[in-house]
Amino acid sequence: MSVKYIPVQWNRNKWLYDAVMLVGVVLFLWLFIFVSPELLSHEFPINPQVHNARAFGACAFVMLTVILCIGPLARIDRRFLPLLYNRRHFGVMTVFVAITHASYILNWYFAFSSSDKYEALLFANTSYGQLAGFPFEIFGVFALLCLAVLAATSHDFWMKFLTPPVWKRIHSLIYFAYLAVVAHVSLGILQDQQNHTFTVIFIGGALAVAGLHAYAAMLDWRGGDERGADIDGWIDICDAGDIREGFAKIKILPSGDRVAVFRQDGRLSAISNACAHQNGPLGEGRVIDCLVTCPWHGFQYDVTNGRSPAPFTEMVPTYNIRLNGAGVQVHRDANPPGTYVEPVQIEVTA
Amino acid sequence: MSDKNNPFFVGYLPVPGPLRRFLLLASVLVVATFLLTGLLIGSTQDEPPASGFRFDYGRQTVTGVIELTPYPLLRVTQGNDLIKPGKTLMLTSGGKAGVDMRAMGLEGQLATVSGIILQRGTIDMMQLRGGRQGLAAAEGDPPEMVTEQLGRWKVAGEICDGKCLNGAMRPGRGLAHKACANLCLLGDVPPVFVSTQPIEGSDFMLITGPDGTRLPDAAYNYIGQFISLEGDLERRGDILVLRMDTTTMELIDG
Ligand code: HEM
Ligand code: FES
Repeated sequence: MSVKYIPVQWNRNKWLYDAVMLVGVVLFLWLFIFVSPELLSHEFPINPQVHNARAFGACAFVMLTVILCIGPLARIDRRFLPLLYNRRHFGVMTVFVAITHASYILNWYFAFSSSDKYEALLFANTSYGQLAGFPFEIFGVFALLCLAVLAATSHDFWMKFLTPPVWKRIHSLIYFAYLAVVAHVSLGILQDQQNHTFTVIFIGGALAVAGLHAYAAMLDWRGGDERGADIDGWIDICDAGDIREGFAKIKILPSGDRVAVFRQDGRLSAISNACAHQNGPLGEGRVIDCLVTCPWHGFQYDVTNGRSPAPFTEMVPTYNIRLNGAGVQVHRDANPPGTYVEPVQIEVTA
Repeated sequence: MSDKNNPFFVGYLPVPGPLRRFLLLASVLVVATFLLTGLLIGSTQDEPPASGFRFDYGRQTVTGVIELTPYPLLRVTQGNDLIKPGKTLMLTSGGKAGVDMRAMGLEGQLATVSGIILQRGTIDMMQLRGGRQGLAAAEGDPPEMVTEQLGRWKVAGEICDGKCLNGAMRPGRGLAHKACANLCLLGDVPPVFVSTQPIEGSDFMLITGPDGTRLPDAAYNYIGQFISLEGDLERRGDILVLRMDTTTMELIDG
């Protein structure tokens, strides 16, 4: 709901969110970097540069794993939705941690030679034809580039500029980045370790990400929104009495788009289910202060015309709606965003 | 779908009561995850072998005969308390560079070297100071040095860069370290073969290409891996030198 773009619109929940994540990350790094060398008490210790590189690398991995678990968790149990709310800040934090990892490596393993360290990163090992000894660093470079693109385009300005569908597609790069990190670690440090604690944590994390996504996809597939049947351009949604005051029913239209039919003050209106902000599912939101409120980031819309209240300018398409006996029907063609449609009054039934 | 019992979170509004408890729990879980993983991963790092720069010995200065294998060796003739005559030192510069250029004109001549010792078990390598302070011709006629030919051997083990192996970096070998080792070797740091079984009383040896050449390009694909190869072995003072037969290099499974 922004009229102009400022770097970040802060509120108390965002502060709390960032504080919790920051506490986690700082604890991780502090324990890894300062406490564990004491615990290890090696006679000839690991070089601090390598120890720190490992700390930041492992931290970035755990952060990415947590970030990627939040999405499916929120689909499995809606109480996790608030964790999704400010996930972008967490993502940006991850990039900085990953960059620190890479610079420790570059300034150690790839420094001290007569070549430029960035060039050295590319030419030092060219055994691309084999698994053992493969230049696993290149997967790290790829992952870091992906993360940097995501962080740079994370702001709402870019979402508007690129349009949400394109933005969403770009941001699914996160999965390729994660796969690359898995390859980076599997072909790298896992080939060398005697103690397998990290291996177990690493595999556990990667399996959690894969497993939660599979489970959430299965739930979506089983209990997903239904497709409405098309009768002369009008789609049956449900019985008017099935929609509770302040909530919506969602149906998939023949076009593949979803419509959300809301009931407010005993009257029904239909708007697009896709929030103008990030395609959040408006129909899973509810009416607050006479406005439909998106469950993801709280953008609000007048249900009769799909417009955000002034001074905001976001708009979603509306749909023509009618009663057919006890049933509600929506016309399959969307009206241009912001078009007013007269709500239909539900007949009071005993 | 939404239902009345499911509290609804709007980012910019206060969090509803029951949800607040859930989120508190989730926050504790997230923080605990970071705490546990950080502590567990950090405190289970493998211990590097006993090796490293011996700054505690102080700067060492000894004299001997320079031999080019092509990687330069110093056969010590006038030593000190730590480095006795009869000792052979591999030589390196600071950073990822050997001393090939600096030793070029000194083959077979007496020279004085000065620098810091790198030690892993025995003392085998010295990182020279810069310029003529680190390596300079010495007065006197070089004594005859014996090179004992030990015949053809087949060995199993790993090619490393001698500097990191000796603890210039810890960890300093293995596949995660491969790119770094390659860089060292490209910079003419002496390559070392670490054998799984002691050969003639030593479990490592300087390794060169065939006929006194540098490590061949083909060897770079095998750095840090468990391999076998054949070559001609010789003893120079207390160091073994293996001149590899490039065509015999092969991976060993496991
Ligand atoms: C330019 C990019 C990168 C380079 C050059 C790079 C390089 C390396 C190297 C050389 C190691 C082995 C270190 C050792 O000897 O222990 C390593 C380990 C690791 N890297 Fe990266 N990396 C990069 C990016 C990333 C990114 C983006 C991530 C994750 C988000 C990542 C995660 C890790 C992890 C988890 C380890 C294992 C740490 C451990 O031993 O506990 N790396 N990386
Ligand atoms: S998607 Fe962000 S508020 Fe709707």
